[in-house]
Amino acid sequence: MRQTFPVRLGAAEESLIAQLKAAGADQAAERVTVAGLPTRRVEAYHYTDLKTLLRAIPPLAQAANEASGTALRVPGAYALSIVNGAVLNAATAPEGVKVGKTHGGVLTNRDDVIVSVSNALATETLSLDLKGAIEQVVQIDHRIEGEAGHVADATKIFVADDSSVVVLETFSGSDAAHVGNHATYLALGKNAVVTHVTIDLSGRATSHFATNEYHLADGAQLRTLVIHAGAGLARTHLFPKMEGEGAHADVTGLNLVSDGQHSDITMETQHAVPYTSSQPLFKSITRGRSKSVVQGKLIVARDAQKTDAKFMHQGLMLSDEAEILSKPELEIYADDVVCGHGSTCGKLDEDSLFYLLSRGIPKAEAETILVRGFIAELIDPIEDEALNEALQGIVDGWLLGN
Amino acid sequence: MTTPVLEIRNLHARIEEREILKGVNLVIPQGEVHAIMGRNGSGKSTLSYVLAGKEDYEVTEGEILLNGENILEMEPHERAAAGLFLAFQYPIEIPGVATMTFLKAAINAQRKARGEGELTTPEFMRAVKEAGAQLNVDSDMLKRPLNVGFSGGEKKRAEIMQMALLKPSLAVLDETDSGLDIDALQVVSKGVNALRDGKRSMLVITHYQRLLNHIVPDVVHVFSDGRIVESGDKDLALQLEAKGYADYDGQAA
Repeated sequence: MRQTFPVRLGAAEESLIAQLKAAGADQAAERVTVAGLPTRRVEAYHYTDLKTLLRAIPPLAQAANEASGTALRVPGAYALSIVNGAVLNAATAPEGVKVGKTHGGVLTNRDDVIVSVSNALATETLSLDLKGAIEQVVQIDHRIEGEAGHVADATKIFVADDSSVVVLETFSGSDAAHVGNHATYLALGKNAVVTHVTIDLSGRATSHFATNEYHLADGAQLRTLVIHAGAGLARTHLFPKMEGEGAHADVTGLNLVSDGQHSDITMETQHAVPYTSSQPLFKSITRGRSKSVVQGKLIVARDAQKTDAKFMHQGLMLSDEAEILSKPELEIYADDVVCGHGSTCGKLDEDSLFYLLSRGIPKAEAETILVRGFIAELIDPIEDEALNEALQGIVDGWLLGN
Repeated sequence: MTTPVLEIRNLHARIEEREILKGVNLVIPQGEVHAIMGRNGSGKSTLSYVLAGKEDYEVTEGEILLNGENILEMEPHERAAAGLFLAFQYPIEIPGVATMTFLKAAINAQRKARGEGELTTPEFMRAVKEAGAQLNVDSDMLKRPLNVGFSGGEKKRAEIMQMALLKPSLAVLDETDSGLDIDALQVVSKGVNALRDGKRSMLVITHYQRLLNHIVPDVVHVFSDGRIVESGDKDLALQLEAKGYADYDGQAA
């Protein structure tokens, strides 16, 4: 039977409703009032029950004028900062990079609480217009500073036709019970080549939410890499839409999950026109009592013939108490496509480990080598040397227990 | 008399409840090459794994002395640093790990364990180039992930190259001839023979005599039902090739 009574609202929902109402987002407030935060009964949140996991929403964060420092410095990168939702002035932008500010949310509306809260609460929006072959990595460094705060920030990026760029977004801040809700809208012009790397390095007490929406025109080539390596609770949405013939997306992500953490990557890729392809590849590495969730949905529109898409999720369990949850979904309306999905899950391979040991490599080092090998196909394609090294550093740091 | 490189005394080992090695005795003096021949399932490969310290096997009795030191309590990586090298029958494919990276990790780990300094990058590159040249291992192969997509011959050449780089005092070659055609067999044998320097000892495990035409052993042992049942010179291998292992059936019971 469908619910006929309003759900019982908890403290988190009460504060969220108040914040939404204060922002004039009555519709979003109403939705939360009626349905509450999504529970396991909502399919998209079956493995990430926000009502249970998110017990409090802190007050909206006060504007901060400076950041206490970035969590990840990439030599040679052009870095912009968004601190507690406010876009800070940065150094002179390199050629081809136009930085601006606008207002309001950036995401296409959908029936999802994270998306609707983002659109309702995002005030200042960073806008980037990128043109030409941009050599420097463009870094957007998101920080949440001070006492526990709720932050919704938004970024809109347009990459012109035939342009290429690497955009890095990093998320970090003071170690408080922040709730971050970060939205990025990224449009790729014809034949644009874009690498978009987002890394959560927030404190353990923080809950990190992000939604990345992509629109790919003809021949555009996108590579995404999401890394969750910080917040206690993390969920990133990846919503790529293939809108032009010949568009291709390598949608990749990595959940590095330690004791007590819960990380979720939820992807929904739409193949809207014929002759597009996507290769979603996700990996989870878990240790302690932790949980990694990867959901991947491929939607192929009725006219999108010749779509070629394969979702893959591989899990590596470094402890017996960890959980890795994998949910592939295919929703195909065309009849001439190649689509598939696969999932694997296991421990480090004993034979591989013995082979390395037999060559004199001690166990801890051998395990590190194997774990690096496991995620090499995610890190290796990141060609910028300094960024590649920084990513490797994050993984190595995680392996050392940081 | 100098200490033998390898001395195995009354070695018993089992996997789960099944006893596979049933009292192996073997002494390999410095510089000698010994061959162990036996049919499939006689326990030859188990012996190589037990020597290298694979966890699946439990040693229930006996001793293994490497250069006079009991290695049974050592971890596999400690045995390697102590001078033991096992060339695998089926070298393991490890995706995502470049062969070069692996070689460097292995060499430096062993050097560190022996209290020697790490090789500098130019020193390492020189050593790899030298070892690779003899075994037709080119830099392209070294950039590929370890053993991934290597042909049978490439895998075995890579194994022998590792041996050349790691310079063990005892090399155990487990069915090194399996999966090799004649040409590859010659390249690999040449590589192995180049490492016979009068000091290094080898234990060559095979069930075909063919390999022993190329790597000529000082002593041949016949392995049956978990132990050595006969030893002789290289002619013993020829006799075995002619008559098969049937004579030894039941003898070990």
